[in-house]
Amino acid sequence: MRQEDRERAVVEVVSRVVDEVRQGATEQGAPSLEDVLADTLFHERQRLEKAPRDRVAREERRFYRELRRRLLKASTTEQVDLLRQATERFAREVVGRFDPRVYAFTTRVLPVGAGLMMNAISPLSLLSQLPDLPNLRQRVLLRGAMDTLRSLAGRGTVILTPTHQSNMDSIILGYGLYLLGLPPFTYGAGLNLFTNPLLSFFMHNLGAYKVDRRKNADLYKRVLKEYATVSMEYGYHNLFFPGGTRSRSGAVERRLKLGLLGCGLRAYIHNLRRKVPRPEVFIVPCTLSYGLVLEAKTLIDDHLQEAGKSRYIIEDDEFSRPRQILQFTRELISLDARIVMHISEPLDVFGNHVLPDGTSVDSRGRPLQASRYVLTDDGPGFETQRDAEYTREAGQAVTRRLHRDATFLSTHLLAFAVFGLLRSQALDRDLFRFLRTADELGGVSLDDVHPALERLLEGLRRRSEEGLLGEEAVPFARDPQAVVAEGLRYFGTYHEPPVLERRGDRLFVGDAKLLYYYRNRLSGYALDPFVDPKLKESA
Amino acid sequence: MKALAKPVGILGGGAFGTTLAQLAARAGHRALLWLRNPEALSRMAARRENERYLPGHRLDDAVELTTDLGDVAERCLFVLVAIPSREVRAVARSLGEVVRGDHVLVSATKGLERGTYLRMTEILRQETCCLKIGALSGPNLALEIMRGVPGATVVASRYDEVVRLAVAALRTPAFRVYASRDVLGVELGGAVKNVIAIAGGITRGLGFGDNTLALLISRGLSEMTRLGAHMGADVRTFSGLAGVGDLVVTAFSELSRNHRVGQRLAEGLPLQSILDELGQVAEGVPTAQVVKDWAQETGLDLPICRGVHAILHEGAAPREVLGELMSLHARWEVDNRPLG
Repeated sequence: MRQEDRERAVVEVVSRVVDEVRQGATEQGAPSLEDVLADTLFHERQRLEKAPRDRVAREERRFYRELRRRLLKASTTEQVDLLRQATERFAREVVGRFDPRVYAFTTRVLPVGAGLMMNAISPLSLLSQLPDLPNLRQRVLLRGAMDTLRSLAGRGTVILTPTHQSNMDSIILGYGLYLLGLPPFTYGAGLNLFTNPLLSFFMHNLGAYKVDRRKNADLYKRVLKEYATVSMEYGYHNLFFPGGTRSRSGAVERRLKLGLLGCGLRAYIHNLRRKVPRPEVFIVPCTLSYGLVLEAKTLIDDHLQEAGKSRYIIEDDEFSRPRQILQFTRELISLDARIVMHISEPLDVFGNHVLPDGTSVDSRGRPLQASRYVLTDDGPGFETQRDAEYTREAGQAVTRRLHRDATFLSTHLLAFAVFGLLRSQALDRDLFRFLRTADELGGVSLDDVHPALERLLEGLRRRSEEGLLGEEAVPFARDPQAVVAEGLRYFGTYHEPPVLERRGDRLFVGDAKLLYYYRNRLSGYALDPFVDPKLKESA
Repeated sequence: MKALAKPVGILGGGAFGTTLAQLAARAGHRALLWLRNPEALSRMAARRENERYLPGHRLDDAVELTTDLGDVAERCLFVLVAIPSREVRAVARSLGEVVRGDHVLVSATKGLERGTYLRMTEILRQETCCLKIGALSGPNLALEIMRGVPGATVVASRYDEVVRLAVAALRTPAFRVYASRDVLGVELGGAVKNVIAIAGGITRGLGFGDNTLALLISRGLSEMTRLGAHMGADVRTFSGLAGVGDLVVTAFSELSRNHRVGQRLAEGLPLQSILDELGQVAEGVPTAQVVKDWAQETGLDLPICRGVHAILHEGAAPREVLGELMSLHARWEVDNRPLG
């Protein structure tokens, strides 16, 4: 957010949140002012118990000690004052720090190579190690409704809602937007990304604001949502990962976190009420596809341990290990790997399709007046229950778009076919036992893999005809032999041991969990029976 | 009772559409009843009654008639759709030309679309820009409501505003309107019970007694509930007005069209001549096909629905089908597992 907007955003956020809490305090069943403050105290003190004993934490402890002391004997007026202080504290922490000079520098450096991540630590040392870095432009393949996105960015506020596989996503997205000639998008990045030595540089300067997932106070969440809302109203394009976190299983997101989509609707209603000239808020889903994922091993382990919730914040994954990133990047370069960024057709905040000129249309393509959805007796207005439903509808539309516009690369296709062929031999085992023992099945013959891939490609074509997938869901290797060759080449690098290995005319599994991870990208399209009719949709 | 600021719109001049218009008028509101057929409108306007379906019941003066959908969209915010299921898509598409995002639509049609298996609210969603959509269903025999005997219905929607408006529009001292969030369950209950009602008519036509009918209703309800649970509905809906309530009235009452179809089938009349004689739509007939396809796709065991389908669409003899049902392998009652 620009410096001149930061202060007024803080003021706006604080006043809205305080008003909302005060108004709620008069309603039956809603928390009182004291409840909200007590909840903040409780959660913050609990968090601070585990926090390191640094300067910041010492200062925070002091603040909450004082808050507690004053709350014990505070009148209602004083409670409002305390609430204002606590809210402002959160608001100031959340507001992003965008520096146009750093942005210009970053985007100038990035095209030099796929080693973009390392630039943050030591661009020079990296460049000296990799003198022949190919241009990143050749690595990131941008597709889809690019012109529409550009057009809408000038007609209202855009919320980009991408799939989330890797911490690299933020950087690739930032770079993709730069290539499209768009300004940086505001987004809430986990605090762990700010503390990651590689990423903090980008996070601070590519429009990111801090989201500390360890902060559980209701007040903090209100501040985050209100900040996102206000930034949208000020015309800052936003980016948020609707899945909430990186996909642990490798599959395209199905369950979305709707909070920030709801902010889009709130911003739209605020804009209508204030009669701003361009009130529209557009949602643009986006899919990212990688042939190899840096953090695949940690993510799939986490998924299989069903520890997704407890390890919502993974701080010790491959992304925190610079050497591993370096190795990964080098290998990606040697593979001539491409990352596909597909911009989906846009939606309005109710889930309706939007034309490039910003007009919302119904499912028959007839133009509609979106502002009618929020009409109340007093003009455009908020209705909590109605608005939650509208957001749910928009979320469903986003999910459909993400699934339709997913891209599948050779590693996904090969993993899906091989996994399916092996799974059909061991249907009596549950998934976990199967994954533990898949290497004992003796691999699969290429004579089986090629026809299975042929059938899978046919299945994908059919899904495309049915409108469940885009026409370019499989952009590169389109024949089985090429898929096998490219898939094996990818799987033979970076992951150790290789996910799949060819010995003679058979393919052997080196890491069944990773095979499962990469095959999951194709789950949810009822494609398993194409590989083997014995298989049902879910493996 | 405070009258709504705008008239209640009702699409469909059949028995139920007319009844809903009358209910809205009794609830103290103006009602605008849309009929597609101008001649039917002229007749109804001249005599102030729906001669064909509800003879002898005078329409309230607050019920106005129109053949112009644009007029309905312009003057009403709350619109009830009471059109035979096979015509809903075409009417909804025309409606989609004139409605806006602030309109509230409630389907009062019980049935599923053939071929797509879509529920009526899904069709309304596809064909219009409206999001605030709901479904109305329950033991609602039009003639009884017209007579003013006490009764009730349920309106389901994910939007509070929809159910609130429906309650305000239709609640009278003799008619209660319950609210629900389970749109899927309410619509499925309303559709599938018609199939069981045909079976009820068959048992009556064959001269069987109340034990048989009670057996049919209980096991029919079990089939409805299992199907609903499989599709994601709230199973509690099936023990409510849109489930057992509607099933009992349809399976027992000779006022029910589906029940009458079953009775005539048992008497040996061919289906087409029964439908011609009825002159109205019996939704259970196409729904039997949909339910049979569903059962086949999902592997659910729904023997009564299967039997009704065989009688309606495969020419099976009613008595033989009943015999087959009675000779099925013994099962646990609650979860329908076969007894080992």
